Amino acid sequence: MARDILLAGVILAGFLGLEFTGLGSSGLLDFAIRFAIFGLLAMSLNLLIGTTGLVSFGHAAYFGMGAYSFGLLMQSGGWSIPAAIAVAILATALLALVVGALCVRLSEIYFAFLTLAFQMLLHSLILSWIGLTGGDQGLMGGIPKPAFWGIELAKPAHLAGFGMFCLLLSVVLLRQIIRSPFGAALRMLRDNPDRAGFLGLSVYRYRLAAFVIAGAFAGLSGVLMSLYVSGAFPTFAFWTTSGEAIFMIMLGGIQVFLGPLVGTAIFLLLNDWITALTEHHGLFMGTILLIITLGLRKGLLDFVMEWRAARRRAAP
Amino acid sequence: MSFTLPRRAALAGAAAITGFPRLGFTQPRQPIKVGVPTILSGRVAQLGISSRNAMQIEVDRFNAEGGLDGRPIELVVRDSRGTPAEAARLAREMISSEGCEFLLDAEASSGGFAVHEVVRETGTLTLHVNSETSSLTADPRQRFWNAFRVARQGIHDSIAGGDYASKVARARNLRRWMTVAPDYAYGRDTTAEFVEYLKHFHSEVQVVGDTWPRLFQPDYTENITRLSQGRPQAIYSCLWAGDLVTFVEQASLFGLFANSAFFAVNMADYTTLQQIRNLPRGVHSGNRYLKNFPNVPGNLDFATEYNRRFNTFPTNWSWQSATAVRLLGKAMRDAGGTTPRAVAAKLAGMRIASPFGADGHVTMRAEDQTLVGYAIGWGVTIPADPFVENMQPSNWADIFRLEAEWKRNKGWN
Repeated sequence: MARDILLAGVILAGFLGLEFTGLGSSGLLDFAIRFAIFGLLAMSLNLLIGTTGLVSFGHAAYFGMGAYSFGLLMQSGGWSIPAAIAVAILATALLALVVGALCVRLSEIYFAFLTLAFQMLLHSLILSWIGLTGGDQGLMGGIPKPAFWGIELAKPAHLAGFGMFCLLLSVVLLRQIIRSPFGAALRMLRDNPDRAGFLGLSVYRYRLAAFVIAGAFAGLSGVLMSLYVSGAFPTFAFWTTSGEAIFMIMLGGIQVFLGPLVGTAIFLLLNDWITALTEHHGLFMGTILLIITLGLRKGLLDFVMEWRAARRRAAP
Repeated sequence: MSFTLPRRAALAGAAAITGFPRLGFTQPRQPIKVGVPTILSGRVAQLGISSRNAMQIEVDRFNAEGGLDGRPIELVVRDSRGTPAEAARLAREMISSEGCEFLLDAEASSGGFAVHEVVRETGTLTLHVNSETSSLTADPRQRFWNAFRVARQGIHDSIAGGDYASKVARARNLRRWMTVAPDYAYGRDTTAEFVEYLKHFHSEVQVVGDTWPRLFQPDYTENITRLSQGRPQAIYSCLWAGDLVTFVEQASLFGLFANSAFFAVNMADYTTLQQIRNLPRGVHSGNRYLKNFPNVPGNLDFATEYNRRFNTFPTNWSWQSATAVRLLGKAMRDAGGTTPRAVAAKLAGMRIASPFGADGHVTMRAEDQTLVGYAIGWGVTIPADPFVENMQPSNWADIFRLEAEWKRNKGWN
């Protein structure tokens, strides 16, 4: 763990150093903020897909819940940002607990579609509860960002640094979770739930715990998103957001821990380049994703790791 | 014999060789970059494209007239796909990475609000071109010095629509009304406001039922059945674009309009009028964009030029976009530069001659930084060009009076 923390600290210091030395650009800041948001969303989802073997189509519900609960708290006044973040994460975890309690008994397609149904339920609730959420126009009026501990999140550089800190902290925590006995149990559930059950593990409780943890981290990414756009919008909780997170994981790799982060970077870079170069975003994005998916047949990091393993085996 | 190379010549030669050919010569004036986040894909793409096209016509005109002391405007247009988060990202990127000095936000309402929040932080002078949600500028909490709206507003349309519909209702004794509107904030708010003002002008009107199809619903059978069962004398709708086209075509098959007068605030836009296969005669519609309303040469010239360049006709988003460029260009010239505060100060209260104005002018009202005085009117459809006839212009004095009351009731004064 000490090594992970050290590595995360070095990366964060390197990123912040870019700003102090003037090497950072506003484009880099924008990218860093979005990379932190979507990287965290993809990493959290991969705890379910890659580690636990539960393919959730409804992960954006927790992303949206985090964004809306944080935004509403900050707009109500009297909340500091750290306190609002903590409550937003707790609220999201609670939602994940309720939804998870009903979903994790199922598996495969039934689990996937039930999570999707709950997500669409939340999306409909956001659209129809106009007095609270602003309906389809979203949470308007801006989100106050009072300074705390010398951090002013209204400044893009501070927000980027804070976003990277949240991402790296979450990555370290997720890695510890996956490497712990709890993580080993989740992998066992993924590979053979019947066997895990015979060994005395409560499949239901372990899956529920993973579901809640993943939801809580997705809630944090939603908080960062609401800070980034100074609002919250129904699309945050729409199935397309879940779909994008799944795409990021598939692009980067499911089996390798950092695969979703690589996928996030590829997805965002592709999105930005295509948007800047052409008006036919969907056509080009779809074609490129199709080529990558059909060409590699797995995520990029999965492909690289398998290729390296094959070379090692082939070596005399 | 000695040969001495003059220092300037040497420098110029070195510059030419080393790839800095402009060193020592006059640099061309830097363009004024204007960011345009809009919707260029999906079901609303036609409108986003029409916004961009109209801006390009006006920007070309501004540049041909010499720009701002030689500085041309350069539009940086990006597709948000109608996603608020992407609109916010693009706005940030345009400001921070692409060096845009101004934004012409050509998003629909939800994306517009996302951009609004970004520029509230960055202090970038922004003209919202397409957001019709009244609260964007009417609600004082949404107001700040660098955001302006150059678009029609829901409340203006509702007052104008209520006034016109009440006159028709009195003349034809239409008392039983029903409504059909898309089931989201715009649909519900606009319908409620229309009904409020219809009853304000004609208290004997009764709304006996309503139906709320989903946005982008493909089949309206259940809504048409509900309307038929209610036997209304008149139906109001704020369905728009493809949804309105589909509804009208399906309702025509059921003969709905044979028994009920139909009032569709969003019908009179060429994207809608030209897409309906058999446009029914006698549908009452508010103007979105019509080349013959206002019936002035400037408006017809705009439509003709647009049609010549893009082989189609302008939309409501087009006239708003063209007006935004005209206002911004004039404000920059009046301010003598691009300093945001100076340009904003010139914009507030600015009145310009416009072919889209009710009296040949439009005004950027200073108190809430929103466009007023644009042409609003209602008429009835005919199956062929010009598609809408007997346009009745609305009275802006009534609109101002009732809008002020509406704001007072909301506590927004």
